[in-house]
Amino acid sequence: MSTTQLRKDVRPLTIDNVTVRFGALLALSEVSFSVEPGAVHAVIGPNGAGKSTMFNVLSGVYEVSEGEVRFGDEVLTGRKPHQIARLGVARAFQNIALSGSQTVVQNLMLGRHRLTTAGFVSAGLRLPKARNEEKRHTARVCEIAEFLELGNKLHVPVGVLSYGDQKRVEVARALSTEPRLLLLDEPVAGMNAEETARMAQTVLEIRDALGITVILVEHDMGMVMGIADRVTVLDFGRRIADGTPDEVQADPEVIRAYLGSGDETDPAAAAAHGTAEETP
Amino acid sequence: MSDTSTATRLVKGVVLLALLVVLLALPLYVEEFWLRTGFAVFAAIIGAVGLNLLVGTTGQLSLAHAFFLAVGALTYVYVSGDPGGSAIEYGGFGLPPIVGMVAGVVMAGLAGVLFSPIAARLRGIYLGVASLGLVFIGQHLLNTWTSVSGGFNGRLAPAFDLFGFSFGGNEEPYLAVLGVPFGQAERLWYLGLALCALACWFASNLLRSRPGRALQNVRDSEVAASVMGVNVQEYKAKVFLVSSMYAGLAGVLYALSIGSVAPESFSLLLSVQYLAMIVLGGLGSVGGAAMGAAFVSALPLVLQQYSGSLPFIVEPGQPGIVASQAAAFLYGGAIVLVVMFEPGGLAGLARRLKRQPRPPQESPPVSTTSSAPADSSSGGTPR
Ligand SMILES: Nc1ncnc2c1ncn2[C@@H]1O[C@H](COP(=O)(O)OP(=O)(O)OP(=O)(O)O)[C@@H](O)[C@H]1O
Ligand SMILES: [Mg+2]
Repeated sequence: MSTTQLRKDVRPLTIDNVTVRFGALLALSEVSFSVEPGAVHAVIGPNGAGKSTMFNVLSGVYEVSEGEVRFGDEVLTGRKPHQIARLGVARAFQNIALSGSQTVVQNLMLGRHRLTTAGFVSAGLRLPKARNEEKRHTARVCEIAEFLELGNKLHVPVGVLSYGDQKRVEVARALSTEPRLLLLDEPVAGMNAEETARMAQTVLEIRDALGITVILVEHDMGMVMGIADRVTVLDFGRRIADGTPDEVQADPEVIRAYLGSGDETDPAAAAAHGTAEETP
Repeated sequence: MSDTSTATRLVKGVVLLALLVVLLALPLYVEEFWLRTGFAVFAAIIGAVGLNLLVGTTGQLSLAHAFFLAVGALTYVYVSGDPGGSAIEYGGFGLPPIVGMVAGVVMAGLAGVLFSPIAARLRGIYLGVASLGLVFIGQHLLNTWTSVSGGFNGRLAPAFDLFGFSFGGNEEPYLAVLGVPFGQAERLWYLGLALCALACWFASNLLRSRPGRALQNVRDSEVAASVMGVNVQEYKAKVFLVSSMYAGLAGVLYALSIGSVAPESFSLLLSVQYLAMIVLGGLGSVGGAAMGAAFVSALPLVLQQYSGSLPFIVEPGQPGIVASQAAAFLYGGAIVLVVMFEPGGLAGLARRLKRQPRPPQESPPVSTTSSAPADSSSGGTPR
């Protein structure tokens, strides 16, 4: 667990018996776990296990069929995504969802949406209030870009950036909302080993410097086992394990899930070399 | 990188300034036909820039633009016009034209607000289909509510004036600049130019700021926008309102440009012409919408004016192709060419012509309007 000062407003997250159905398909089935404030908490599992679905529930994109999610004493389930965003929950998407024609700074400025107030009239008329706000928040967003190694690409349209850079913009945009809870969906997918190591370092720095909670969905076992305080394992929508990285790697059901689904590596072995290079 | 972006902004500013100077000086040099055409173009630009905010920026298709133009135009003639008519009698408040103009914009906005609960809930093409209904409702109202519209033959639009300075009719007070008398056409030109510049300025400010970014992200990914804190429904409703107010102002200027309003002017064809303008211009950019509007609105007028010297165009009533048909063929063809070869439209073409050797922008791997490699991400997911 982190040794740094926790932000006072960072609350525990409780996922309580959550079920999500798509017709006959049970994408999540009575899943419960909790995430300590200030933790780096990983959610892992084979493809289609329901990890992104869990993130969609946490950010309000999907409605639960049953169950409840609480962030401190606020109930998240039943709220709209933008209402959840206002509570300080931010997310970097697995499938990049940036505005390709807009620059890095412009994309990050979208993250400032909940922190700013300029409306159609004040922005359209360039009122001083709106311009000052824009200037202040642009400066902050540039710092965040710098932190994510995007400092020399501030004014490049994100559509022309490399895949790895776009992933970094995703993370930077989520960070730009100054979140209390950061959801990262496969932040190192498509990155090489060195980039992955740097991103792992960045995630730890985010947690340590800001004292916020990070939930990480990732297939790269090396990264997960290296930085997570706690790991929850999903398989076919069910929670099959929850514990420290060591406990989870020794769990027979986890090993079975990874072997049984046609994967030739178990999480422990995968941890040794990382799985990012397996598929192009 | 930021050096180049300030440099491009500087170049852009200089070009805009030069354009403004030319437009300001033009009435001293060109004949009345071009000034009248120019006024019609300014009106169209305002409408197109507004539609572009909705369709190009936010990705919401609307076929109702003609309806909101009609609301603006009719409100203007009713509020500022006098009662009259012989066969069909119509009413009017006879208020100062500036009141009518503001009322036209406000009423179009109100009509937009009434429709916005629908606009907020529908997406893209579905909104297009739903908005189609408004055009037919508008047509029906125009034809039946004759005390406002004057019925089938329409009614005259009162000339504009501002605090005693007339933009038509009596040409009072007399004004001449550098020996050129400033009559109706000259005055309207400046009125149109001022309103058009204001409308473009407002829209481009919007695009470069918080609401504009939110709208563009709603277009590129509704889910991402909402997760980043954007109230998607609210923004769709608001941009619909803004777009209809732009249409309202365009409608008022349209009435001034033609000098009268008639139901047939506000048919579905007008909505389609506005869509043609923004597609030709390049969805999403203010400058593009302006270029597209200039092309589509001026073409039939110019062809008509020069029909005598153009071999394939005949006077209305004679067998052959009349100017408006020829214009429709031309811009129809232009749209097909644009969609096939330059989806960025006229704005994209302009960008390409002045493109500097900037390596990262030379070969964008994806269309610039979509959230780039959405599919490659799922393919590249390692297990
Ligand atoms: N909107 C939806 N409609 C129908 N089925 C869905 C929807 N979203 C997810 N699913 C299904 O739910 C299951 C879980 O999907 P999810 O995206 O959560 O998996 P994941 O664990 O994130 O997998 P991956 O590692 O491939 O990203 C899958 O079978 C998926 O097809
Ligand atoms: Mg996923």
